[in-house]
Amino acid sequence: MAAHPPNAPAKLFREEAKTDAIQCLACGGPIQLRGFGAIERVACPYCGSELKPDDSGALQLLQQAQRAKRQSALQLGMRGNIDDTQWEIIGIVWRECEADGIVYPWQEFLLFNPYHGYRWLVFSMSDGHWTIGSSLPGAPKAHSGLGHKSVTFKKKKYKHFQTVGARVTYVEGEFPWQVHVGDFAVAHEYVAPPESISIEEANTAEGADVNFTGMRHIPGAAVWKAFEAPGSPPPTSGVGTVRPNPWKQGSRWTWLSFVGLAGLWVLATFFYVAARDTKVVLSEQGLPLAPYNKEIEIGSKGEKTTIDFRFEAIPLSNAWAYADVMLVSQEREEGIGFGVQAEEWHGVSGGEAWREGDPRQTVTFGGVPGGKYLLQIVPQAGQQRSKGAPDNLRLNIRMREDVVLTRYLVVPFLIILGFPILYFMLGAFYEGRRWSNSDYAGSS
Amino acid sequence: MASSRGSGLVALLRAGPPSLPPVPIVDPNAQQTFCPECGAPAPFRGPAISLVCEYCGSTIVRTGVDLRLVGKVSAIVDNGSPIILGSRGRYHGLPFEVAGRLQVSYSRGTWNEWFLTFADGTVGWLADAQGQYSIVRPKDPQIVAGRVPPFLQVAINAVLSVADVTAVVVDKRAAAYKGAEGILPFEAEPGMLFHGVDLRGFNGEFVSLDYGTSGDHQNPVPYLGESIDLLEVGLHPVRAFQGWRRPAPQAGGQP
Repeated sequence: MAAHPPNAPAKLFREEAKTDAIQCLACGGPIQLRGFGAIERVACPYCGSELKPDDSGALQLLQQAQRAKRQSALQLGMRGNIDDTQWEIIGIVWRECEADGIVYPWQEFLLFNPYHGYRWLVFSMSDGHWTIGSSLPGAPKAHSGLGHKSVTFKKKKYKHFQTVGARVTYVEGEFPWQVHVGDFAVAHEYVAPPESISIEEANTAEGADVNFTGMRHIPGAAVWKAFEAPGSPPPTSGVGTVRPNPWKQGSRWTWLSFVGLAGLWVLATFFYVAARDTKVVLSEQGLPLAPYNKEIEIGSKGEKTTIDFRFEAIPLSNAWAYADVMLVSQEREEGIGFGVQAEEWHGVSGGEAWREGDPRQTVTFGGVPGGKYLLQIVPQAGQQRSKGAPDNLRLNIRMREDVVLTRYLVVPFLIILGFPILYFMLGAFYEGRRWSNSDYAGSS
Repeated sequence: MASSRGSGLVALLRAGPPSLPPVPIVDPNAQQTFCPECGAPAPFRGPAISLVCEYCGSTIVRTGVDLRLVGKVSAIVDNGSPIILGSRGRYHGLPFEVAGRLQVSYSRGTWNEWFLTFADGTVGWLADAQGQYSIVRPKDPQIVAGRVPPFLQVAINAVLSVADVTAVVVDKRAAAYKGAEGILPFEAEPGMLFHGVDLRGFNGEFVSLDYGTSGDHQNPVPYLGESIDLLEVGLHPVRAFQGWRRPAPQAGGQP
């Protein structure tokens, strides 16, 4: 064992890493250094001059600038809790792209936690929406071939939204990599709301570079709350690129409740149909084409019932038969009147035989008070080729009570089905608005 | 940004992979060795080939039973890493210790390659660049020999197959050894230029190909692993940062 080593062991970096405060080497403005040793570039918030730390951590002036400080949505040094982790804003970058002559600017806030690394918080200035994300832990798989361009990552499919040229217009604060005003990258954005993947390709002096970033939507109010920012977040407009579709968010519940209600409907239908005691009130076969009167009794007094009336004319060949039907209540001096028409048309046109109409028609009435009625039927008939009624025309009629009224079944079902359909349409409309801002506007 | 772990490991692996002897992290029977420069204890252990004396900063290389002084490496730059020599954690349930660090620099900055020794005697590397962390393990070079392009022909965004992993090239660079601390499994000579390619897999894998000092061959050492979160692997202790609360050590580590 050596007696005593010459120096005490230089256990590296066991002491606390320190923040620092310096003055800008160009403008003298105060600069807070909060990024510790990982920082590669510092852009003075006041004048924009670029500084670079040397191996000892001392800053060297790399490029002098004289730009004005811009007012960003959030400020350097703000801290906030997002996803149970505290983050500090140490860098701000403004970038923009141009489409159809319109410039779309956005602000990127570099969030830092010494134990968790970095995140990007992005504020879209054109529509007020926010996203947060970080480097993707892996690579998205591109799908070539026909159809909408897309990528897949961890079994989730992201549809291509747009490809833009993004240019840095403003920088302030600290960055663990090099960043300059004027830096240009081609950014391909793929979306699966509320998430997206951005693939950025840049050609720098050091060579080609590709970065995969996974982003997700975060409400402006959540950002404001996290950073305890004064006032309220900038208002949003339109549909954000990855803002979740509110009409689809609940779609699971919409469909579940649809299934539940549809089940109840089937049950109710079953009981309704089973409870019907359908009886034939009147049935006549082979009546001549002449007025017909008969006293009948429908249902039981004091209760309402549903009746149906079937009218059949035989034979009908390119002819029609119409019955004017009156049910006159003998107790209440009220009547129910309706018409029912049977017809049959056929012929050959363009070399094809056709046939239309039905010689048997049924009409249904609900809410008919039970009691004694006088049934009056006045039939008429005509035909295409000759005047007058068809020869040998015979009429069959049948009236039943307590029949199943189809609209009692159909109307509730349509209401039940209406909600998912409405939600689906609203969701589709929302997606349409979202995609109207994409490279696929007009085609989707 | 993982790579440049040195062609010394190539020799180490080619000696007959998987050739790493299952030695414990601390070998109580290891012969006591001392720094030829200052006489302080130089605790070579496990797969260590070189060691940076924590007293005088000399790099010592072990060849068989002989120790050789290489000279002083340039000091490690404080690049703000929360990892410290001696930190421990668990990766897929297997305990590891951070036994050494190689600091590498290239045109865009510096990053750290932390040398990990696992409880079962195997080794790995924890790449630490720009706040992103990944743990990779060396694989048999035969799985890629002749099947990947030479460094000089690798294109960014190209899709390569490394064993059964399909991955996209995201970075390629020549980087220089800048400094080291602790033990390393090869002879680290400062200033040497190493060629590395990083890939990210479609299922979240992290792959790097270490071409060593020459970019004109098709026999890199492959390293396979994945991105990790320092707290999820239960790394402890970690460095203190002014104004930040040190996270409590998490039990268990990564599933």
